[in-house]
Amino acid sequence: MATAYGPYGPGAEPRGSFAAALRAPFGGRVWREFLYLLVSLPMAILFFVYTVTMIALGAGLLITFLGIPVLGLALAGCRGLGSVERARARALLGLEVAAPEPVRPRSGKDGRPRTGPLAWVGAMLKSGASWRHALYALLHLPWAIFGFVVAIVLFCCGWGLATYPLWRWTFSAFGEQPGIQVWGDHNGSAFYLDSPLEITATCAVGVVVLLLTPPTIRGLTAVDRLMVSGLLGPSRLATRVWELESDRGTVVDTAAADLRRIERDLHDGAQARLVALAMDLGLAKEKLEEDPEAAARMVDEAHGEVKLALQELRDLARGIHPAILTDRGLGPALSALAARCTVPVTVTVDLPHRPAAAIEGIAYFTVSELLQNISKHSGARNAGLDVWRAEDRVMLQVTDDGRGGANTSAGSGLAGLAERLDAVDGILIVHSPPGGPTTVTAELPWR
Amino acid sequence: MRVVIAEDSVLLREGLTRLLTDRGHEVIAGVGDADALIKTIRELADDGALPDVVVADVRMPPTHTDEGVRAAVRLRRDHPGLGVLVLSQYVEEQYATELLAGSSRGVGYLLKDRVAEVREFVDAVVRVAEGGTALDPEVVAQLLGRSRKQDVLAGLTPREREVLGLMAEGRTNSAIARQLVVSDGAVEKHVSNIFLKLGLSPSDGDHRRVLAVLTYLNS
Repeated sequence: MATAYGPYGPGAEPRGSFAAALRAPFGGRVWREFLYLLVSLPMAILFFVYTVTMIALGAGLLITFLGIPVLGLALAGCRGLGSVERARARALLGLEVAAPEPVRPRSGKDGRPRTGPLAWVGAMLKSGASWRHALYALLHLPWAIFGFVVAIVLFCCGWGLATYPLWRWTFSAFGEQPGIQVWGDHNGSAFYLDSPLEITATCAVGVVVLLLTPPTIRGLTAVDRLMVSGLLGPSRLATRVWELESDRGTVVDTAAADLRRIERDLHDGAQARLVALAMDLGLAKEKLEEDPEAAARMVDEAHGEVKLALQELRDLARGIHPAILTDRGLGPALSALAARCTVPVTVTVDLPHRPAAAIEGIAYFTVSELLQNISKHSGARNAGLDVWRAEDRVMLQVTDDGRGGANTSAGSGLAGLAERLDAVDGILIVHSPPGGPTTVTAELPWR
Repeated sequence: MRVVIAEDSVLLREGLTRLLTDRGHEVIAGVGDADALIKTIRELADDGALPDVVVADVRMPPTHTDEGVRAAVRLRRDHPGLGVLVLSQYVEEQYATELLAGSSRGVGYLLKDRVAEVREFVDAVVRVAEGGTALDPEVVAQLLGRSRKQDVLAGLTPREREVLGLMAEGRTNSAIARQLVVSDGAVEKHVSNIFLKLGLSPSDGDHRRVLAVLTYLNS
């Protein structure tokens, strides 16, 4: 996902522990969030005033031809200020929000995007992201005021009351009173915090407020996070479209690579063998009369070639789609696969019924590739394969006791596998410390 | 006849070697890729021992695309006397056009399947070695089918089209006569009719004939 929608972005500290709660008021995080709330107010005022002024101006000018361009410029400015807000959230809240989808003028009649200022203004006005930026400007101001006030009050009260014993002397030195006056009237009767018990209690209240400050500020910024990611990021639809576009690219590339592989296998394998066979038989035909013995030998060789060609075709067909997978499903197909692996594999398949053919195919080839890796690279003595269903996912786990060190770095076979799984909303997790053992877990949607 | 074979499949390389050796020709080198082919021919040429003909596969390492054709074009440019026969799993008219660009002397382009007809295949190799032409019937069919002068070709009788196709494959008049089971004279009549209808002046050399036909068809 390009956008973290959760209220807590990366860097969330572990909560719930008492020691952590005690440390929180002094942590860098609460100060960054406090700073965020402080800066929010002037930013929100600027953003609000700009947006209201420009949109009102644009709307007012709509009766002339100037209105539309002014509105377009207003929204462009909103987008600019939005990027400042995203940068601020990134720096102080650690919230990564991707820029919204760019303004793209619609295609004209000839299929090419229209150009020119009018097309741009039109696209800007039609873009939902632009209007969400304006909405953010309006909604954020009241919240920024509230957050600013609460944060300032909490900070001042907390630190002020907690440190009360340290600065109470200023009252008697400069203010002709013994301490903070809680209440008083014109008749001279008043209540001051000046006894040791009262001072201690005040200090305690301050400490409590200080301890409550971090969660409160976190709660306040959580709303800010929601606003920034919800209103200033790409729309979920756009994000999903982007994901699907990239997935589709992977699928197309994978399909093309598979076709190339099949063509290569055919060309180098069965086809070459058949040509050689044709050649042998051609020679044999020529020899038939003059040298029947040589002809018989050639026919014999040709016979061997045919058997090899058949074997190669069978292997190739299995590589495209194994018949047993179609006929019997994952369990028997994976057992057959494991039986051909050079390392002994313990297979456990526990599926209530068969998933969709496409998922079976991907699961099969995932296991096939993982077992090949084990044979080729791991040096393992034993391997295990478990397949089970967890809610709406198919889980595959391949383990081996080999030398480990496998990773999904770019260009490796595992990276390609991870990409292919990603294309169907699957996941590949590799746990392979140097020295082993290796566990590769793949998750596929159950369809 | 001295032959150099460039074919990445060991199986086919050995098969071709056996086939040609069996017919009394000498295979002086067998290589597995285009770079090795060009290097071998250059060394042989430096020694003054240029082979008569090169038989090259189109697809060879490292990219497995059209190395063979590119090497063939280069060899034909660098060594005009060398015959080059290209073997391919598929017929690509584009390859034929590239090979024939410039001259149709000592050039051939055949489907790999043709090796099954041992006699015809060896005849084709010999023809190319002697400076003739050997084009696969499928290549000829594609070139004829693609021609923009279909209306002119439509003026030919079916028999004349057949003769034109065989001519384009690089056959001599007598070979065409054998193939169609007619007399040499009948073929000669067809050929002069074809030249007449296509507006070409007749010429005696086989390869010039093919060149004329193909140039005309491709114009």
